[in-house]
Amino acid sequence: MTPAEPGPSELAASVLESLERCSLSESEVLLKQGRSRRCEIGPQGQVMSSSQEQGWAVRATNSRSSLFVSGSGRPSPDIEWPEPDGQSLPLPPAQEVEEWQTPQDLDASLMSESESIGLLEGIERELVRELPGARLLKGLLEEGTSETDIFSSSGIRGGFRSRAASLHLQAVGPWSGSSATMILLAEREVRRFQPLAAAKCLANRLLLQHQGSTPSRERGEMLIGPAVAVRLLAGLSPLLIGSSAPQAAKSYRDRQGHIGSQLLTVIDNGRLPGGVFEAPVDGEGLPTREVVLIEHGTYRQALVGWERARADASRSTATRLTGNRRRDSWRDLPRLGPSHLYLKPQTDVSVASLLGSIARGQYLIEPVGTGLFDFQADRFHLPVCGFEVQQGQATAPLSRVWIEGSIGSLLRGIQAVARDLSFEPLGGMIGSPTILVTGLGIRG
Amino acid sequence: MTESQKVPFSELDTTAIARSLSQIADREGDLADVFFERREEIVLAPADRAPGVICCQDEGFAVRLAREGKSWLATRDEIESGLLGAALKQVARVVPATSYPAPLLKVDRPDPPIVSAEQLDFPRRVTRAIRQRLAAFPLQLTVRSHRRWLRVVRTQLSPDPEHERFFSCEADLPWARWGTLLTRLDESAADRVARNLTALFRAREAQPVISGRQNVVLGPAACAVLLHELVAHALETDTLVLGGRADAALGAELGGDLLNVIDDPSGAPEGVKRTTDDEGTMVVRRWLLRRGVVEQPLADLFAAHSSTSLVAGAGRRGHRHEAPVPRSLHLELLCGQSSLSELLADVDEGLYLPEASRGRLDPLTGDFSLFAPHGRIVRQGALGDLVGPSRLVGKVADLLRSIRGVGNEAEMSGAGWCAKGGVKLPVWATTPAVALDSVEVEA
Repeated sequence: MTPAEPGPSELAASVLESLERCSLSESEVLLKQGRSRRCEIGPQGQVMSSSQEQGWAVRATNSRSSLFVSGSGRPSPDIEWPEPDGQSLPLPPAQEVEEWQTPQDLDASLMSESESIGLLEGIERELVRELPGARLLKGLLEEGTSETDIFSSSGIRGGFRSRAASLHLQAVGPWSGSSATMILLAEREVRRFQPLAAAKCLANRLLLQHQGSTPSRERGEMLIGPAVAVRLLAGLSPLLIGSSAPQAAKSYRDRQGHIGSQLLTVIDNGRLPGGVFEAPVDGEGLPTREVVLIEHGTYRQALVGWERARADASRSTATRLTGNRRRDSWRDLPRLGPSHLYLKPQTDVSVASLLGSIARGQYLIEPVGTGLFDFQADRFHLPVCGFEVQQGQATAPLSRVWIEGSIGSLLRGIQAVARDLSFEPLGGMIGSPTILVTGLGIRG
Repeated sequence: MTESQKVPFSELDTTAIARSLSQIADREGDLADVFFERREEIVLAPADRAPGVICCQDEGFAVRLAREGKSWLATRDEIESGLLGAALKQVARVVPATSYPAPLLKVDRPDPPIVSAEQLDFPRRVTRAIRQRLAAFPLQLTVRSHRRWLRVVRTQLSPDPEHERFFSCEADLPWARWGTLLTRLDESAADRVARNLTALFRAREAQPVISGRQNVVLGPAACAVLLHELVAHALETDTLVLGGRADAALGAELGGDLLNVIDDPSGAPEGVKRTTDDEGTMVVRRWLLRRGVVEQPLADLFAAHSSTSLVAGAGRRGHRHEAPVPRSLHLELLCGQSSLSELLADVDEGLYLPEASRGRLDPLTGDFSLFAPHGRIVRQGALGDLVGPSRLVGKVADLLRSIRGVGNEAEMSGAGWCAKGGVKLPVWATTPAVALDSVEVEA
């Protein structure tokens, strides 16, 4: 009879002991396992993959140097650890984790082969219906679940389950020599994707890119859809994330200490219900919480690592440390970043009412490339497409358009915020509703 | 042979695995294979960073069944008989009760990760080589060692295991980031890194490039990136099918007589040369372009299965959890007649770009861009002042036709990390310099 494999806590304890024997006084063990399904249609035909992944990672340190070791499968307690090098690595102290209910949808079964092929083929059908002659070059659907356990010599005993699905689509219009367009969406479950909306989004982008006219320089009221607004918010991350963010944000404060419009409230929440990264702890085992970064235009704090938060706290009052680091996989070191970073929506404001309020301006709905944010020069620009708007009506398509202006104007120019909050995977889930902005310009 | 010298996967019972595969590949034209993989990455961070050393060892396998344009893949992160049996069932899509015999798998445990002396010493060698160039600047150097062992077992074929070892080096400078791939960490590699970093340092406040059409000479390292983006990517079957049938490209004229481009994994430098590809197919010395005409695109088994004109042998996998894709491994541009000074001598007014940091090709429009971090002005055939970053842009066909001279001295370089379609792969090239007539340059 084969002896039963040790459970995560026994296994982690034996690994922590072996590290201690190597004079690595502080250490942490992460154990992760998961399974995923992937369905792709594209140039390589139809590919259905099913993976079972299992891996582990160790961070350990002494007073002078440190190491990170990871591997597939389960760690062996008799592993020979490499010589640590570099500097000593601070590892987080244990913190009390607030009560947590595991979301029920984590237990739902992963997508089946027929379900995923059906969804991608449905998107292709709808795309062709919306735009005859258009082609889906690539459709990639992935869904996975995982279980993570973190143990450390400082007493961290954390574990969580998670689930995520992504949809990557690339399509081309019926016109020869035109370039493709691409969208990437993420949800907790494949079943939450809306094939009709995805197909319409692709068709709209292709049509706008092809038919839209390029305006000369213009200013006016600008209605910015969630897909564009999330890129603007992501572009502002140097003001929101990292220990140098508060200093960077200082230059945008006005005399009253406001960094932006009264309607600008930006939050990061690792426990956002239904969110792709919803979890009780982060990639270091520290508790996640809602963190308000900007509140009604007033800068409150940046998203920082626990070391910086603890250093700041030592100068004022004791504080609860918040976990803001995620690991892309067990192979990766935890890195500071947003979980669900979003601009707070106004639940009583519809997009239609904002569109109807525009006398003359633009409705910019899709980004068509990467933008540039230059904080030293206080300028940004982002390529987008959308519509001209007159008297609340879309009048003509716009393409090859750049939104541009000063970063300060973007922060202060928000006149209204709608309720249609939506998230996109941009190195963390970044979310925004539609916003109405003045003070920015567009150019061709 | 000691335990530590054993080649992983050399003792696999390939006959038993092939027998199991033949049970799932039960239709005419089916392809079934198992891809075994072990990877090791050891990262030595700059001295002031933590963690100072990063080691990742992982292994596993992927079972694949390809049938009539569809593929099923089942992957695992451990190499164990029961898991292989379950994966075989999964790709065969049979009810779990069906019993396939699970082949016994004997795989030695990986050796403990060890930071080699050459890896430890390399940052010091680079610093020394920079000083020898009479330069000094703040530098954070991260040196990575990459190793991969793999073995492919197919129903009727089981080539020997393959092993790859190479290094990558990333430099953080106060004004730029720079990276390269290396096959060795010796004095000449340190000197090459130092030469590039010093050039970046000296170009940090150089005058900007004047935008417009210019004659340009690309050094071997820049030419490597250009060929990878404009020739290799353009001639991968997964790119070609975007415009219709992949074999329709055969015989197309892409450039002039001087353009003889070959992909030859067996001619790659020691450490990364290959006998078989990641699908177990023998690699070939593949003429992508002969005198500017497409002769044989880069094809994997999937593409070769659909056309008798396409030859497999260029299948590569970024990771076992990903399906194979057709990619170049080691490109060669055959040398021409002119020395670098002769190529420059024909330029009255133009640019010399010794290296390119990255490139991009839109396969649907044929638009490309190639980024150069720095360069030199060329006047009356002589190298002049340093210039800052520039970008070559235009249509692939126009650029390839603009090649008016090819150098007579080829250099081996890592063309860099290719990330097409999200699949990250190291790519290599042995190329001389090329001279381009009147190409669009942007500052």
